[in-house]
Amino acid sequence: MSLAANLDQPVPMPRGRRRTELVMLIFALALVLFAYAAVGLGLKGKLPGLPTGILIFAAVVLGAHLAVRRFAPYADPLLLPLAAVLNGLGIVMIYRLQESGRNGNSGQPVTDMSSSASTTQLLYTVVGIVALVVVLVLISEARVLQRYTYTLGAVGLVLLAIPAFLPASHSVVNGAKVWIIISGGFSVEPGEFARLALAVFFAGYLVAKRDVLALAGRRVLAIDLPRARDLGPVLIAWAASLLILIFETDIGTSALFFGMFIVMIYIATQRTSWVLIGVLLFLAGSWLTALLFSHVMERFTIWLHPFAGSNPTGIAFQPVQALEGLAFGGLLGTGLGQGQPYHTPLVQSDFIFSAFGEELGLVGVMALLLVFGLLVQRGLSAAIAVKDPFSKLLVGGLSFVLALQVFVIVGGVSGLIPLTGITTPFLSQGGSSLVASWILIALMIRVSDSARKPAPQPIQDEGMTQVVRAA
Amino acid sequence: MNRALRRISVACLALFLLLMINMNYVQAFETTKLAGETGNVRVFDQQFSYQRGSIIANGDSKGVTIAESRLVKGTDMYQRYYPDGKVYAPVTGYDTIYSQSGIEQTENSLLAGTDPRLAVHNLTALLTGKQKQGATVELTVSPAAQNAAYQALTSDGGHAAAVVAIQPSTGAILALASYPTFNPNELTTFDGAKLDKADEKLLTERSQPLLNRAIQETYPPGSSFKIVTSSAAFSTGLVKNTNTFVSAPSPLILPNGNQLVNDGGEICGDGNPPIIQAFWMSCNSAFGKLGIKLTAPVLRSYSSKFGMNKPLSIPLQVAPSVMPEVKGWTDPSLTAFSAIGQFNDAVTPLQEAMFSAAVANRGTLMHPYMVQQVVGPGLSVIEQAKTSVLSQAVSPTVAGDLQSMMNEVTHNPGGTAYLTAGPQATGGITIDGKTGTAQNGIDNGNLNDAVFTCFVPGSGGQASPIAVGVIVQGGGFGADAAAPIAVKVIKAYLGAHPS
Repeated sequence: MSLAANLDQPVPMPRGRRRTELVMLIFALALVLFAYAAVGLGLKGKLPGLPTGILIFAAVVLGAHLAVRRFAPYADPLLLPLAAVLNGLGIVMIYRLQESGRNGNSGQPVTDMSSSASTTQLLYTVVGIVALVVVLVLISEARVLQRYTYTLGAVGLVLLAIPAFLPASHSVVNGAKVWIIISGGFSVEPGEFARLALAVFFAGYLVAKRDVLALAGRRVLAIDLPRARDLGPVLIAWAASLLILIFETDIGTSALFFGMFIVMIYIATQRTSWVLIGVLLFLAGSWLTALLFSHVMERFTIWLHPFAGSNPTGIAFQPVQALEGLAFGGLLGTGLGQGQPYHTPLVQSDFIFSAFGEELGLVGVMALLLVFGLLVQRGLSAAIAVKDPFSKLLVGGLSFVLALQVFVIVGGVSGLIPLTGITTPFLSQGGSSLVASWILIALMIRVSDSARKPAPQPIQDEGMTQVVRAA
Repeated sequence: MNRALRRISVACLALFLLLMINMNYVQAFETTKLAGETGNVRVFDQQFSYQRGSIIANGDSKGVTIAESRLVKGTDMYQRYYPDGKVYAPVTGYDTIYSQSGIEQTENSLLAGTDPRLAVHNLTALLTGKQKQGATVELTVSPAAQNAAYQALTSDGGHAAAVVAIQPSTGAILALASYPTFNPNELTTFDGAKLDKADEKLLTERSQPLLNRAIQETYPPGSSFKIVTSSAAFSTGLVKNTNTFVSAPSPLILPNGNQLVNDGGEICGDGNPPIIQAFWMSCNSAFGKLGIKLTAPVLRSYSSKFGMNKPLSIPLQVAPSVMPEVKGWTDPSLTAFSAIGQFNDAVTPLQEAMFSAAVANRGTLMHPYMVQQVVGPGLSVIEQAKTSVLSQAVSPTVAGDLQSMMNEVTHNPGGTAYLTAGPQATGGITIDGKTGTAQNGIDNGNLNDAVFTCFVPGSGGQASPIAVGVIVQGGGFGADAAAPIAVKVIKAYLGAHPS
């Protein structure tokens, strides 16, 4: 084929691909509906009643689709369906766990779960999707957030710090002091939102400072060391994350914050030395805290020797139950509603992935990991495609944190790394995490829309470019 | 910044790859190990959530269910039930929430449905929404023979005893009974505390009801071992045929100066009888002397040909019957005792049946077995027993000689079992056998164990239908205590299997 033949073709217009999004969404909703039916069949041996909840879910998700059509027509068509299938399956699993051993269903009840948990989760889903639409409406370009760099930075730190200053009765749930408990059973985990706010702050700060960070400094042993005063923010981030760890006993969240900041510096400066420094600081911090705090050390013991001595019935009870649940599921799983995930404490939140592993098996777990992986990769590809450096940093960093979060919790549940209690995005029970996750999807949609939007057409026709026939 | 983003992208892929590899490790490679962890509550609960396969005694024309799982009313849990628990306990064993024994243990993976051969069926069941189910194990055990054996043992004055019946031509086990026994239904409770209590009771009981005497306990064979001594004598040419005269002094003075006396100090014929007479009278001095001439290693090699001195699985594990190579075992003065089934000789009741089975099957000892076939939930045969030769104990000629001698034991008015297993006692059924009255305990202080091994010879070209071994602990004379039990089992079996 000659070069000229290609040039003769008209340049294709970028397409919105909203129809693809709709088809994929319907596919996602069908999956969720089938899962719901499977739960009924597994628990009671007959189809469950009218799936009112699933219909409401479908309605809001399709509403989100319409909002994307209107406010981000060129957005990546996979982001919304991927998030929707995760959120939907999460609701179905929470419904399954809530119904277990209740209302004449087989199995045993999950004791610390209310009988309306799935309704609450559905409610938070609606809130999350409304938040997505609001973000899409209010923020026409991600870079407008850059104006609020320091404001959001302050908001983030305050949100993060509030639980540390609240009395335990208003901040501690299951040993983690990361909550703001408002009376009436309503509670917020501010860290989930603080992460978004701080990501904006990091992105704004680094866009401003990236040249200084990248260029000034000395070269020691083939590693470019940054200047001490530029290192300041990194050390502050490190210290802040350690403080969270100490005061709020939340190793997982501090790892996520630190990982996010290091990766964003790396993206901004392209200098590997930052990653090296970051990893060393993280290891040093972990080692120190493990020495200082017995509960951190205990996590390592549980990780290395879950089945030793009295651990399976003592400190390692929860991870051992999760592992045995995963093994019980095996390759194909027991089928939804037919496993025994209720043996694992907190299976509805931190350990929900083990419930999926038990009932959907290795096959289902692989599919879920692929969905998460795709979501991360779509986010990163939006960051690569977009021109604006602030958007690049923001979405690149947030996508990485999403991957890191899945790695930390799924790796913890399956015994790959020491266990730290954080939520599984979209799947775990809990409103803060869910709403924050939908806001993240909104940012990804917004940035991918900016990246794929066709450049403004020149008003005046400049005429055909002359074609030179080379052959 | 895109170069860094691309690297981050690769790093994210690596994170997911690590998760996937680990998930494969946990869910595909570690499952067996994790399922076997103590206190795995899921595996524990699951074993009652579906129907475990049945065990069927199929030795007579129609199968009799001897173990099955039944749905407990008002729950979705299956509980094990043994319709004739005490009768078949030595065969089925028990299936508790913690452990199994007997066939329940050896065939556990098939009964539980976890065997790889059931994987295809389990997958179809999964896809069609049917419930998982275990396979059915069909045994060679004859309900007629087993019931008779159990009845005979329980009505025998409370002696600990065991009886085993074998089909000589195949090795199929027709009956395997032990007394005292237990009721496995007492151990099927889901309540761990209750189970512990019942278990504790059975374990501490002085009569040891959990002990399967038919295969787990060994006893001195006494004079029944003279079958082995005779086999060695005929096979080595030491004794030409059944009419060859052998020396039977009374008493026999051993090289170390001790005396080996006949039972009750009686004279064996004229002191130099044909071997057949020494056999039917069971003269100790004649066989003691033969033993010395044969030497211990030769005797032992013939005991091995009858299946002794090695482990055996039927598929229950059988305690080896032994003529052990203890210190000084080749001393002729001790070999004389070995030759009459004393000193350190020890056999299981199953081994007693095997002595006769080998003779009955023209010298060929078939491998004893109990599982005839295993049928999957879809009625497909998963496993089918294949008969195999355990060893060629003696040549057919020698087997013929042994049969003639054992025939005289029950048919010669001077034979030790003439009154209890002879034609009058059996109602016309021909039984050839050998009695044993084994001294045991320190300084032979215990009551004698009564031993009887016998078979119904084949007639008119047909193979021998049944061989039986009986040991009654402290029963006294083999002819009086053990032979009637064997006769009852044989009568019941032949009644259910008219030729």
